[in-house]
Amino acid sequence: MPESLSQPDAAPSRHGEPLLQVNDLQVSFKTDDSRVRAVRGVSFDIYPGETVGLVGESGSGKSVTNLALMGLVPSPPGRVDGGSVMYDGKDLLKLSPLQMQSIRGRRIAMIFQDPMTALNPLMTVGQQLTEMTRLHLGLSRRQANEKAAEMLELVGISGASRRLRDYPHQFSGGMRQRVMIAMALSCEPDLLIADEPTTALDVTIQAQILDLLRELQERRGTSIILITHDLGVVAETCHRVLVMYAGKVVEKSDAGPLFASPQHPYTQGLLQSLPRFDQVQTTLRAIPGQPPDLGNLPEGCSFRSRCPLAIDRCAREEPPLASVGDRREAACWVAEENANG
Amino acid sequence: MTEDTHDETLKQETLERILRESREIRGVSLWQDAWNRLKRNRTAMISLVCLLLLGLLAFLTPLLPLQSPIDKDLNNRRFLAPNLDTVVMGSRPGLKFEGGTLTGELEKFRASIAELEAERLSTEDPERRQELQQTIDARINVEHPFNQMWNELGPLSWWMCQLRVRLFGDYAIPSLFGTDKLGRDLLARVFWGARVSLIVGIVATLVSLIIGVSYGAIAGYFGGTVDSVMMRIVDMLYSIPFIFVVIFLVTFLGEDSVKARLDAMGIDQITIFYIVIGAIYWLTMSRVVRGQVLSLRTEQFIEAARTVGASPARIVFRHLVPNVLGVVIVYLTLTIPSVMLFEAFLSFLGLGVAPPDVSWGLLLNDGVEALSIIDVYWWVVVFPGGSLAATLFALNFLGDGIRDALDPRMKNRD
Amino acid sequence: MRDLLSYLFKRFIWMILTLLAVYTVSFVLMRAVPGNPFSGERNVPPAIERQLKARYNLDAPPIQQYFDYLGGIVTDFDLGWCMGLEDYSVNQVLAEGFPVSATLAIFALVFAIILGVTAGVISAVYRRSPADVALMAAAVLGIAIPNFVLASLAILLFVFTIQIFPAGGWGTLQQIALPAFCLGLPVAAYIARLSRAGMLETLSKDHVRTAFAKGLPKRTVILRHVLPGAMLPVVSYLGPAVARVLTGSLVLEKIFALPGLGSHFINAATQRDYTLAMGMVLTYTVLLFVMNTLVDISYAIIDPRVKLQ
Repeated sequence: MPESLSQPDAAPSRHGEPLLQVNDLQVSFKTDDSRVRAVRGVSFDIYPGETVGLVGESGSGKSVTNLALMGLVPSPPGRVDGGSVMYDGKDLLKLSPLQMQSIRGRRIAMIFQDPMTALNPLMTVGQQLTEMTRLHLGLSRRQANEKAAEMLELVGISGASRRLRDYPHQFSGGMRQRVMIAMALSCEPDLLIADEPTTALDVTIQAQILDLLRELQERRGTSIILITHDLGVVAETCHRVLVMYAGKVVEKSDAGPLFASPQHPYTQGLLQSLPRFDQVQTTLRAIPGQPPDLGNLPEGCSFRSRCPLAIDRCAREEPPLASVGDRREAACWVAEENANG
Repeated sequence: MTEDTHDETLKQETLERILRESREIRGVSLWQDAWNRLKRNRTAMISLVCLLLLGLLAFLTPLLPLQSPIDKDLNNRRFLAPNLDTVVMGSRPGLKFEGGTLTGELEKFRASIAELEAERLSTEDPERRQELQQTIDARINVEHPFNQMWNELGPLSWWMCQLRVRLFGDYAIPSLFGTDKLGRDLLARVFWGARVSLIVGIVATLVSLIIGVSYGAIAGYFGGTVDSVMMRIVDMLYSIPFIFVVIFLVTFLGEDSVKARLDAMGIDQITIFYIVIGAIYWLTMSRVVRGQVLSLRTEQFIEAARTVGASPARIVFRHLVPNVLGVVIVYLTLTIPSVMLFEAFLSFLGLGVAPPDVSWGLLLNDGVEALSIIDVYWWVVVFPGGSLAATLFALNFLGDGIRDALDPRMKNRD
Repeated sequence: MRDLLSYLFKRFIWMILTLLAVYTVSFVLMRAVPGNPFSGERNVPPAIERQLKARYNLDAPPIQQYFDYLGGIVTDFDLGWCMGLEDYSVNQVLAEGFPVSATLAIFALVFAIILGVTAGVISAVYRRSPADVALMAAAVLGIAIPNFVLASLAILLFVFTIQIFPAGGWGTLQQIALPAFCLGLPVAAYIARLSRAGMLETLSKDHVRTAFAKGLPKRTVILRHVLPGAMLPVVSYLGPAVARVLTGSLVLEKIFALPGLGSHFINAATQRDYTLAMGMVLTYTVLLFVMNTLVDISYAIIDPRVKLQ
């Protein structure tokens, strides 16, 4: 974690319509002996031009949420059980496969965690870059090639027109992620979903990729959903943050206030488990316990067993996401009480 | 209590808590997990049960009240369709059995042997005694009714046949599968053929397993030059059309003079079979094992095990063996069927198991020869073919099931 | 290009070594058989026997014979005279049989690849549908039924009962179709299973998810992004497939009475015509080597990560 957290510029003013509205999204997976509810009623809005961080442990439902937005939940075993994703006046979950194709890549693009496996090893980078623009923008082969070279230059790959003929294995990990970004942005989408885009990369490369994303966003005004379990990355790039735990959003806040005063005990735990250079710490504090088994959730708050603040009510009722301050929401009985009482 | 000791106890508590938690997470062992998954795979389980049953029946064949697999009846029983008519063991007139039954003849034979025995015991002259003993042995060898009903029984089978006569007397299961062109009961032949086919399949596969695993493991373990030379040799062998070499070998070994020499060494045709087939099928096995060992050597979990101080023995048995064993088992279930097919194939060309031994391949060959448009002797093809196909089916399904069960990546792919 | 040439050169060296090994083993086996092929069976007059011995070079010491015969092969591909077929050289028999066997093998292979890949792709794309279940059951059936049983049943059905194929003979497409079908079917079954597994494997890859995320139609994703990767195991199987087709042709040529190499080989083997048998083993080795080399090259073309070595 770099010591000086360079905060992103102030969040773009959220006037006007949200770009994307996710409402009560539910996704489950069938396993050997049960149905795991991976996403349990997630709601959030994305406004034009903002970067929203989606934070949580592995298995908290971050990636699945976004696969559901793209209509890419692997099925079987996965299934979208309910909710809506409103985009441009339409519910993406109700679109036909054909209609969804014209959204994917064109309006909402996605980059994945592991650039080593996310590119087709048997096709040249050029082929992979051009097939999208030719399909969505109807470019000719030559136009598409020019566009592809232009995009590669944009993401900082030199000798772009020559490198179009190379295969993915001839690129380094960071370069491949740049290719992925170039590909995702080549149709100028409204929303870019970046699923842990830097997790598989070296720290120095990580910073470069994040800078690139930020720069491209400023230039093009693309909204970004940044999925990560790395709070440092969030602090560096995001305007707003959604914290997910056990398939639910447990805290929603602007980035600054979240880091200054986390409301949900889980968020507090996450922040405390970060090593910090500005404080003298003897031990790192891990959050005790394990995330609950999503196939067999306990009654009440799913974080209860690990929560230092748990009260009786937490065992009986699951707390809803409620306002706990200015543009802040948290799903915690204690936080809600503190805020209101 | 000072601040320091307070900190210490805190740390202690934390440690204990973590340990407690880690104990609660119980790992399911690879095999347990695989077995659980296999159990849920209905086709694989049915296949497994069928195969076990088949193996058991094949082993117990001499004990079952089947008709003779070799007794021919050219006059009355050629190409009988499957039927339920009662059959009495040893009733064929040509056999000239006492009372027209096997038990009757056995009784008579036993009596005559007992007579000789009594004579042997009563004589004083050691030379005469020796002579009589020889006569008895010779008569048992040649005239014993079992030798007219069965072909070259081993000691265990002989004992099982005796038990069978004691249990079932002269009863024999009717010709449910019909009879063949020489009037032999097809049901009995299918059962006796199963023994040979299965043995050929299993033993040849084991031979290939031993060669392949040791070759592959050595290449993979040493790596480097040894590995590349050894694998080059395998590559080279891959390009040899083995079937032709095998045919060449089998005909060569079938040459009368060579055969006589081999017989003198106690090697019969079926043994040659095991060795020759095993010698071909080890190639793939060695490649698979070598690849596995090679990749495992550098695998991170082996490193991880080493860093936490696991002993070499533990690494080999807990980490290497299970991982290699998986592919080996899968490959075994796929090799046995191809070996059995190969046996059938050679039998068809007249180069395989030779009569009076009987195997499924040989039965099928007989069946195919009897196929004609005028008389539809369907049973001579359908029953041996069905048995072979069903066995190969089961082995394939079981192999697929085991592969899926052992491959955790398949976990979520139903 | 230089990679390719040096690869081909290396393969060639290996082929020569393999052939030498095969030749040596066959020669030793041949000579290990007591007596010579003409002793005993027929009573030949001494003059003729001398002639025969001269023709087969049997008077020379074994080492001499080994090198003489080898020399003949190397200098002018002369595999010598058949021991069983009178007045036929091995080369003549090969020249007569080869076109028949090659045609049969090519038809069978092409048929097997087309049928197998189509079935495998359909099965994987419509996984767990009735079509998948039916195709895979058929594939297991194809693997589990011996070639000769299949061929005999096919003859019974198509030649005698519904009479759409001629009973025998060689030359027209109709005459080739049935044997090629019987020869190719087990291979097709195996290819179907391989391509299904390959498709399922590739479908679960990350880059396929990327392709879907790009908004490509399912058809394009499957044909362009899944199929090539899924075909890699099929391509590597083609080497063994050739071997399998050659093996199967032994049986099919016998059943359909086709004048190919396979039936010659069986005759040669059973009649102890060792020169002919050895000539054929050598020919088949060359064939298999060439096919394996082609397979390796095409693998490297499909997968750019693979370097020919």
